[in-house]
Amino acid sequence: MIRGPVIGEVWTTRKAPGLSGRKLVLVAVRADSQLTGRVVVAIDTLDARTGEEVTVSFGSGARNVIAPGPDNREVLADAAVSVLVDGEE
Amino acid sequence: MFLARVVGSVWSTVKWPEIGGLKLLLVRPYSLEDLAKERAPEKDLVVCADVLDAGVGDDVVIAYGHAARVAVSQVLGESERPNVPIDAAIVAVVDRVQVTLPEKPPERG
Repeated sequence: MIRGPVIGEVWTTRKAPGLSGRKLVLVAVRADSQLTGRVVVAIDTLDARTGEEVTVSFGSGARNVIAPGPDNREVLADAAVSVLVDGEE
Repeated sequence: MFLARVVGSVWSTVKWPEIGGLKLLLVRPYSLEDLAKERAPEKDLVVCADVLDAGVGDDVVIAYGHAARVAVSQVLGESERPNVPIDAAIVAVVDRVQVTLPEKPPERG
């Protein structure tokens, strides 16, 4: 997983059917306190707001955010917002 | 997934049979700096399958891994396609991107 702030949103019309209705957000990857410069696109089901710190899960972890369970192999998701971060120490 | 700009394509005659008929495009991922400066990305290059008929200059969303094969399968409607030996595919063509930078650069002069 990575974490970092939501920095924006992506709107699409022409897309794979499995993405239809999904909100896509841009997340800047943070390592320690610095942003690394990498940006990922993640499916957001938690209604994350721009500026909010989140974690993004990849691969089957992302599918488990969208549709938890053993039979989610056909779910189109390789990155999904999994946590809205409140704080850390 | 990541956001990228389509910059070209690759073609081949010798390939794994399962990959036959798939268009392969060259894309450059956007970095934070590219988005901040509203410029086209210039670094890195990724080859990905395209079943959405994207073209050079389009901004697209790329998925990796199993999700890439699921997308190809969904669009082509072929159940055998999940075995295609790709691990990156265009899953959406971008209409609009809205970016709000997390830390504004210091104002000058």
